[in-house]
Amino acid sequence: MADPAIAVRGLTKIFPVPLHRQSIVAVRDLDLRIEPGEVYGLLGPNGSGKSTTLKIILGLVSPTRGCTEIFGRDSRLVKSREAVGFLPENPYFYKYLSGEETLRFFGRLCGLGGAGLRNRMDELLALVGLTNARKRRLGTYSKGMLQRIGLAQALIHDPRLVVLDEPTAGVDPAGSREIRDLILDLKRRGITVLLSSHLLAQAQEICDRVGVLADGALVREGRLQELIAIENQTELIVADASSDLIEEIESLINRSNAKLIERRKSTTTLERLFLDATTDRQEP
Amino acid sequence: MRLLLVLVTLIVIGAIKLPVERDLAVIHRQEHFRGVEFNLDLREKLGQLGFIAALSGFRAIVADGLFIQAHVAWERTEWSRVLLLFRHVTTLQPRSILFWDMAAWHMAWNASVAAMNDRAQPRLALRVKAQREYFALGKDFLERGIKNNPDRPQLYEALARLYKEKYKDHERASEFFAKSAALPGAPRYEKRFSAYELSYCEGREREAYERLRQIYDEGEKERLPTLITRLKFLENKLGIPQDQRIPDRAP
Amino acid sequence: MSNETVVAARHRGVSFSRVLAITVNTLTELTRLKVFYVLLVFALLLIGSSIFMAQFTFQQEFQILKDISLGAMSIFTSLLAIIATARLIPQDIEDRTVYTILAKPVPRFEYLLGKIGGVLLLLAISTVVMSAAFLAVLYIREQSVLHMTLRQMSSAPREQVDDTLRAVRSSGLNLDLFPGIIIIYLKACLLAALTLFVSTFATTNIFTIVVMAFIYFIGHLQATAREYWLQEHSSGWITHVFLAIVALLFPDLQAFNLVDDIVAGTAISLGVFLKTAILGAFYTTIYTLLAVFVFYGKEL
Repeated sequence: MADPAIAVRGLTKIFPVPLHRQSIVAVRDLDLRIEPGEVYGLLGPNGSGKSTTLKIILGLVSPTRGCTEIFGRDSRLVKSREAVGFLPENPYFYKYLSGEETLRFFGRLCGLGGAGLRNRMDELLALVGLTNARKRRLGTYSKGMLQRIGLAQALIHDPRLVVLDEPTAGVDPAGSREIRDLILDLKRRGITVLLSSHLLAQAQEICDRVGVLADGALVREGRLQELIAIENQTELIVADASSDLIEEIESLINRSNAKLIERRKSTTTLERLFLDATTDRQEP
Repeated sequence: MRLLLVLVTLIVIGAIKLPVERDLAVIHRQEHFRGVEFNLDLREKLGQLGFIAALSGFRAIVADGLFIQAHVAWERTEWSRVLLLFRHVTTLQPRSILFWDMAAWHMAWNASVAAMNDRAQPRLALRVKAQREYFALGKDFLERGIKNNPDRPQLYEALARLYKEKYKDHERASEFFAKSAALPGAPRYEKRFSAYELSYCEGREREAYERLRQIYDEGEKERLPTLITRLKFLENKLGIPQDQRIPDRAP
Repeated sequence: MSNETVVAARHRGVSFSRVLAITVNTLTELTRLKVFYVLLVFALLLIGSSIFMAQFTFQQEFQILKDISLGAMSIFTSLLAIIATARLIPQDIEDRTVYTILAKPVPRFEYLLGKIGGVLLLLAISTVVMSAAFLAVLYIREQSVLHMTLRQMSSAPREQVDDTLRAVRSSGLNLDLFPGIIIIYLKACLLAALTLFVSTFATTNIFTIVVMAFIYFIGHLQATAREYWLQEHSSGWITHVFLAIVALLFPDLQAFNLVDDIVAGTAISLGVFLKTAILGAFYTTIYTLLAVFVFYGKEL
């Protein structure tokens, strides 16, 4: 069997607090296994250990106990990072560089250069929709644009795994939807995605599997559909039904052993409403 | 843990570098660098703050600042202040010929003349005494300057001029012109000047004659009017036979 | 296309091009910080001082011009080294750019080498620019003094004119100044590496700058402390331990202040220059390696 994209075994991270007896346990005894091609969401409230786990996987922080591997390579090895692209939370890049220069810089760090790098930059700028802003300094970019250039830099060396820390934090709904679409696009291309989020609705839209962290420990894990499905309930959404038809259905339910829990008008989501209203205005 | 290791590494490297640094400091001082650093008088003179400033890469600039102050004091004829400032300047920058030379010149040439013309002092004897004191101060600067720069001719020459013009001591003047002439980089005239001065010394005329004659024989370039005058004077005084005398200048 | 890039990205243990990318980026970062204003101040100082010195003789003028220029160069490069380096790492950590960089296949030592490389390059550029400005002013002044002397002495004997011109030239541009300037540069390199080392365990750049200011002054007194310690003076053991710590832990910065004496006319021999330069390079290397060592243990 092929190596998993990410394997975390018995991971514990304890941060000593200077001048204090006790220390902070950021991650306790964590086991994770993410298969190639999956979109995995690491969910949990702020301070639950998500970022620390990601940093350990990327070799930025060393584990107190346990080990992490990327495609079978120990995270502490620089070589393991050849296959990963990382987008940190609220990324700041060098403000004085333009979008293009930022990608060139990170491309060079990955050993790219010449025509190959130029083509890759064009491709990625088109992918994240920043072709028109490529010459602008990052200092003038909006939060959503920064997030997108961040994603482009994470993809510069065509990694097999992308790690995204709170990819939509602080981004407006339109921006956040674009990022969501980009992640789905990555998934279609067979790239493994590990993302952390505290925004559950978004995770729900894109993740194949999720793990829920609380206080550094994994408290739930599984396929999203399985985790959130309520086994004994079913929803029907019907369009253009007459009130007679509805009553008939209800009486059918009452006659059986089943119980009708709720009956309501379908609503659109606020997000949908927001997007319809704002995109209409932007593109008349 | 890692920090402890770093500390140990620093100490080990410190122990290795210590003799290297020490040797380098010795070489530096042999080659006339860093003469000021271990001079603890300086600390007393400049105070702790000035001392630290002087040693932190500001030494030359501090010296220049004091030198400019001395220049201003000179323009105001505040002689005791000129003296004090030049003492600091030369202590800070003992390898600067210029500062020693200026200090001596101010004392022996300017302050001494001012003392002699001092209208506030009606008694001549006291004015002469003050003048002699300034000569001595000038001489002292040059002697200390030479001690710090034994390898360079300029201060020997300045001291020779001081002996010649202020003390009228031709013998010492001749001696210091000769010392200057012996050092690399000395102007050609030093050797001549040494011989000229010797020609004024009672009892050393023969020696002076031989040295002047030797310079004369070096060629046409050396046969300057003063040289010929002094040679002729000595030829007469020593009664040199006519056939060995230098020819009269063509009319 | 994708396959090609993967092949191109094949990782190498040490990559000069990666270090170079970080070096160039660091240099860009530093130049955008407007550190070059320091050079402007230097130019003003140079021009200001040469106007002010009209009242002095040429020997005085040249000596003061050289003292002030080289003294300012020494101080400015040292300041630049400390201030520019102190913020590099903390800033990258604060902005999280360090995560993005180190999440790429970039070893930590390459990151630090790139950073220090950028600072050393900046210092080299600044030193060259300041030297050029200084040498230009000195040359112009020397030429004008030579012309003036020739005019004034047009009726004097040949030998006297030659002696005077030689005196002007010897108090003007002096080739020994160049090794002196290189030593100034090496001192700044040493300070940059030491600042990098301090900044790897400092939490704020103010802390780094304060520590470096302290090291700067102690470092200049290290030789005095060392001689006292080694000469076994009859002082108490506390003094003794203190002197030993200073002598062992601090670099002898005074060893790099040769330019004052060079301006005053002391000749620098090749041996002294090389030994001093090697000491500077040695310190720069050691402190960079120590910085790398501490940085490898750092939790980001």
